[in-house]
Amino acid sequence: MLEPVRMPTDDAVPSEDDAVDADDLSDAVVRQLLPRLRRFALHLTRESESADDLVQSTLERALTRWPGRRPEGNVRAWLFTILYRQFLDSQRQTRRYSRLRDWFAGSEATAPSAEREAIARSALGAFGRLPESQRTLLWLVSVEDMSYKAVADLLDVPLGTVMSRLSRARSALRDLSEGKGNEPCLRILK
Amino acid sequence: MTERAIDDLTRHAFVDGRLSPEQRQAMHAYLRANPDEAQKLASWQSDAQRLRDVASQETLHPNPNLDPDAIRARLRARSRQRLAMAASFVMTLAVGGLAGWSAHDTVVANHVLPMQDAMQAYRLFASADAPQPDVSAGASDLQRWLDTHFAHAERLPNLSASGFKPIAARLLATDQGPAAVVIYENANERATFYIRPPGPGGKFLPQGSRRDGDLLARYWSGQGYNYAVVSSGDDGVVQPLAAPGTTRS
Repeated sequence: MLEPVRMPTDDAVPSEDDAVDADDLSDAVVRQLLPRLRRFALHLTRESESADDLVQSTLERALTRWPGRRPEGNVRAWLFTILYRQFLDSQRQTRRYSRLRDWFAGSEATAPSAEREAIARSALGAFGRLPESQRTLLWLVSVEDMSYKAVADLLDVPLGTVMSRLSRARSALRDLSEGKGNEPCLRILK
Repeated sequence: MTERAIDDLTRHAFVDGRLSPEQRQAMHAYLRANPDEAQKLASWQSDAQRLRDVASQETLHPNPNLDPDAIRARLRARSRQRLAMAASFVMTLAVGGLAGWSAHDTVVANHVLPMQDAMQAYRLFASADAPQPDVSAGASDLQRWLDTHFAHAERLPNLSASGFKPIAARLLATDQGPAAVVIYENANERATFYIRPPGPGGKFLPQGSRRDGDLLARYWSGQGYNYAVVSSGDDGVVQPLAAPGTTRS
């Protein structure tokens, strides 16, 4: 019987980039973070044009708000949070709009666009077929190497929820990679 | 040993390389005893690595719009625009308020009853002791005389329904130019047709009528002039008949 591995506290596992610091929203910091913001936005929106629009409105908001408000965490987490909130807002608006559109145009408007399907099948393969919330979580943890605590703050959920969601997301990604396609996969590949 | 022995946080911290060396060592020992778990975490690790690889290979097209300089410049331009818009809004309010106030003044100052001069002309020229008219003639002569002074004006109204026939006319002067009064007569009474240029500021009249003492005026505008038919109010408003060449009845 092995002794169980002691659970690390989140403070004990800072991720390197969380130290990208951070007290200043200087142009240099923004330029440094810009590619990361754009890639994250790209994986949220899946369209480069709307991704850049999202980044642009994020930076506008951030630069407008900065003088009056300092973020609690570091600048990167703060910017990512603004970007993600804006994305969710725009999603809600889009859903409202598409409900309206469906009402007038019939249900064909809900079919995924060719572009979306193409992107879903593209380089990221299985990852691209995950639902948005799982993609976001995996992206922030694996690609951005953001601390679990920062991710929990960004998603506005408890740390434990982040960990269990992360388990589900990683299992789902594995299943998709191994061809155990589940429902979202079938829907997109039909 | 079951999976419960470690929790999600430890599991992911291992996958993401966030354990301290001692913790990692303990974890390796645990995984040696749990090959299934070891395999699962290894595949999670390789999935994460693949994701990082793909992300790092992704090319982003340069977008100068996203440079902080460009963003700041746009924000400045936008706040200038907002300021300008706010300023123009304030200006609009101020100008509107002033204009409204002066318009109010003007209205108060110019609050003259329509065709007051037509009423006075009736009292002066249609009375029994009226001064001599400029012309005394039948309808066609009077029309010709009127046309020499008022180009393109409406025709003389036909008041024959009430028995009125034009008998004389007289030229008058107003601030805005010549006016004329044409006197009509029937068996008992007189009526007048009054023509004048529009009032100050080119003010045309809506069609209407009003009573002033014992007189009744019916007035309207057209062809660049204001007109009135004034009669003694006892018989009601004299209604002109439509006549050839008359643009209004």
